[in-house]
Amino acid sequence: MGTVPHMRKYFAIARASFEVVFVYRAGFALNMFGTVLYVVAMFYLWQTIFLGKAGALGAFSWPQMKAYLLVAFLTNSLMTWFDEGDMGRDIRMGRIATDLTRPIDFQAKRFADAIGPLPVELSSALLVGAVVVFAFGGIAAPPDPVHAALFVVSTALATLLKFAIVYCVSMTAFWTTGMVGIRVGRTAIQNLLSGAMIPLAFFPDWLRSVAAVLPFQGLVSTPALTYLGQMDGPTTALMIGVQAVWAVALLFAGRALWRRAIKAVTIHGG
Amino acid sequence: MAARLRSLRRGIYLYFRLLGQEMKSILAYRADFIVLLIAAVLVQLVGLAFIGIIFTRIPNIQGWTFWQVVMMYSLIFITEGVGSLFFEGTWWLSWLIYSGEFDQVMVRPVSPMVQVLASKVGFNGLGNIVTGSLLLVVSLTHVSVNWTPVGLLMVLILLVSGATIRVALNLGTAALSFWIKSPHSNVPMFVHQLGEFGKYPITIYSVGVQAVIVLVIPFAFVSFYPTAYVFDQANWALAGWLTPLVAIYCLVMAATLFRRGMRRYESSGN
Repeated sequence: MGTVPHMRKYFAIARASFEVVFVYRAGFALNMFGTVLYVVAMFYLWQTIFLGKAGALGAFSWPQMKAYLLVAFLTNSLMTWFDEGDMGRDIRMGRIATDLTRPIDFQAKRFADAIGPLPVELSSALLVGAVVVFAFGGIAAPPDPVHAALFVVSTALATLLKFAIVYCVSMTAFWTTGMVGIRVGRTAIQNLLSGAMIPLAFFPDWLRSVAAVLPFQGLVSTPALTYLGQMDGPTTALMIGVQAVWAVALLFAGRALWRRAIKAVTIHGG
Repeated sequence: MAARLRSLRRGIYLYFRLLGQEMKSILAYRADFIVLLIAAVLVQLVGLAFIGIIFTRIPNIQGWTFWQVVMMYSLIFITEGVGSLFFEGTWWLSWLIYSGEFDQVMVRPVSPMVQVLASKVGFNGLGNIVTGSLLLVVSLTHVSVNWTPVGLLMVLILLVSGATIRVALNLGTAALSFWIKSPHSNVPMFVHQLGEFGKYPITIYSVGVQAVIVLVIPFAFVSFYPTAYVFDQANWALAGWLTPLVAIYCLVMAATLFRRGMRRYESSGN
């Protein structure tokens, strides 16, 4: 992967994948629309809760909660183009055979595929987010530029981590054709344990301990709490470190799974 | 009259025969089917955990209690399940029209609507129906009312009405494909996703959002109004009685759209 000519290959793949988004723009918009409706419903729900409370809920004020929901929306909107379905289709239709004959790293190719649409995802999420924020009267800003910068780092790591998780899960495609169910199940667990639906601080103790030992909290909770500056300096550094460790560990786990899976593969036609 | 009744009976008989064939083909892939079921149950458990956690922090949402919100959730899930398990075919319609495969549907001596409705089975619906029903029953035990046969009959009528509204929305929006003619019309999915708003009391939304889910895409009659009626008949009697009427209205509109659309169908040729 290291040398520059190699990088160019993957860049070409990423660019092709970026262009594909424009071909399937209706599908992309629809995906986005689902997330938007969800976040709008959440804004109304939490608004009602906070206005009824007349004050803070735990460590959150209403402007902070709005910021939390928005960060959750942003991180959920990134890296959505690549999911378990792609791998399932490629294996079922025998397209995987072509990938095996190419002189490219399989995981790196998938990553290039997944990251191509990122500029579109990011800009549309920021645009939609700005509209929602405007409609609901503004959000809390990060406490200082350092936290803002760390938030960007944490969001980038969250995106890498999401790829690593989805890549690992998608390896099940070598053993089952039920990828829709796998994706829906993974999304459900991820939405709860990442803190996307509700901050982990609100969880009962036992569930919070479960979330703490799993990688999902790095997807939403860590970037959101970094943005808000709700963790002290050492904790912030630790949590971002945990994100990075999970991302790297799962990327390697994905490679190990792939090597095992490839021995089990039977190619139909193609 | 007798002839119409006979053709209706034949239509229902054929619908279940066709659906049965489709079910067999799905059951052939047993692992997929089990994964889908588990995923559907997981989604519901996560949804339940979400409202459960919220209610550990606050006693009610604008006066609506935990069990009332659980009932709204359960109604959304059950009706979604009915749509997937028995009427998944509506999602297939746009493709049938675009590809010209609707020709085959037209030449068979069976009602085209029956064929379309029975052309697919979404087994995830079974998971939704079973867990949704459990949640519904448990939430009903928290209604402070002496259950009479008439009362239970009314719950059943509301449930059937809610399912009818959703299936009618699916069918009606799918029938727009006769005019839109694109391989994957997004209108049904857009409308379907509005169901997100049905999971919470409509009183939390702004007037504009309320107008949409009461008057335009009547999801309020799937979950909110039935729940309000069952828990507080004195204040919500009208909402309860309007629900079946709204269901009939939606069904007639959907059937009309389908028939009108079919009349202007011209094959895309093969």
